[in-house]
Amino acid sequence: MRLSYILAAWRMSVRELLRSRIAVILFFVIPTLFFAIILLTTTHQEIFFKLASVSEEMFISVSQREEALVFIGLAAVGLLTSFLAMNLTQKHAPANRRLVLCGYRTPELLSSKFLTLAGLIVGIGVYISLLLLLFFQPRRLPLVLLGFILAGFVYGCYGLMVGAIFKRELEGILFIVLLANIDIGWLQNPIYYAEAQNRFIIRHLPAYFPSQVSMAAAFSEHSVLAPLGGSLVYGSLLLLAAGLVFGWKMRVKK
Amino acid sequence: MVDVLEVRNVAKAFGRRRVLRDVNFSLRRGEMVGIVGENGSGKTTMLKIIVGLLSPSAGEVSVREKVGYCPQEMLVFETLTVDENFAYFAAAYGLRQGPGTDGWRDRERFLLSRFRFAPYKDMLVSNLSGGTRQKLNLSLAVLHEPGLLILDEPYSGFDWETYLYFWEYAAALKAAGACFLVVSHFLYDRGKFDKVYELREGVLRCA
Repeated sequence: MRLSYILAAWRMSVRELLRSRIAVILFFVIPTLFFAIILLTTTHQEIFFKLASVSEEMFISVSQREEALVFIGLAAVGLLTSFLAMNLTQKHAPANRRLVLCGYRTPELLSSKFLTLAGLIVGIGVYISLLLLLFFQPRRLPLVLLGFILAGFVYGCYGLMVGAIFKRELEGILFIVLLANIDIGWLQNPIYYAEAQNRFIIRHLPAYFPSQVSMAAAFSEHSVLAPLGGSLVYGSLLLLAAGLVFGWKMRVKK
Repeated sequence: MVDVLEVRNVAKAFGRRRVLRDVNFSLRRGEMVGIVGENGSGKTTMLKIIVGLLSPSAGEVSVREKVGYCPQEMLVFETLTVDENFAYFAAAYGLRQGPGTDGWRDRERFLLSRFRFAPYKDMLVSNLSGGTRQKLNLSLAVLHEPGLLILDEPYSGFDWETYLYFWEYAAALKAAGACFLVVSHFLYDRGKFDKVYELREGVLRCA
């Protein structure tokens, strides 16, 4: 891979992203809206939930609002990163293929898009962590931020894959919203998890490991190493799948 | 003289639909060949096979020159400016901007002026007219000074003056040894071509 090619494509990819009005609007609207809904609909009543990655028997007692804020922060990161990542591989796909025809290698283009995504993930993670701080102080903020970044990594790679698979935005959005809604917006909520009948499915969905990192970091002193590793493996597998589909779509005979 | 492009026994089918049947032709240095045909006759499919965007079902294609491909669709980045599109494709071609060298910036200036769209250099492509986008689409295909130009409906959307500038430029390139394969629904000036073929029902014939 040639670094100068990657950097040139990365610069263009960042410019494209910054000029996308919908991306900028969503960046501010989604977290604000999600946090506002939580503040309007929750109380400080104490609730109990399981930290699934630590022990099936261990319950933690926290404020309903604080738990919901961390959970909705994860949902906001997942939804935003997957949507923006989808744009990176889906938008201008035929023009990207022309670039490959003109001399780019597919891994170089994908790397530039992943670099842009990485910057986005960190930006969104920091922004949502700062918003969270307005309402409460998690026990280990840096690790909560790490959980947000991991959620962005896993869902961002999912978005790259969806963007590479579907030609049209509507199908892509449907697949993103469907998974994000079911997984990071519902099943991974520890309150639901505690009562769920089939936890096997929940433990294998993309947001499981990142949400465990953030939850364990926000409300306990337990180690987050296992879910951290799980998140990295899950995200890497999705990235690999995205790379394979993107490579197939961009193929040219030279 | 060595053929720059050789297309031998190329056939292409999409499922049961046979789009190209046993297509044979070649192009020599400094030659300009035109291919006409109705909509859906397989012209674009043939060009896509030549540049490598599609694989033939049978036959083979040999290319012995740097290729410049101008697709029928405007395959450019709409949320980038004209200048940024030049920069992006220059990077793809591996062209350098380096000081004191005849880098891609000089080529960009030349093409902007030749096709008369220099005032739009810093505008987003999404804000350009169809004709100006086509000028960019074509300019990106010739940015790296290719020896073989494969042009799919290259002057659609051009005003008359730009159309004439295009032919003036093509003649200069041809004199310098470049060869052209131009595909269109119809060719206005058959006299400008060394050969004209017609593609009908997947079969290529001399027109």
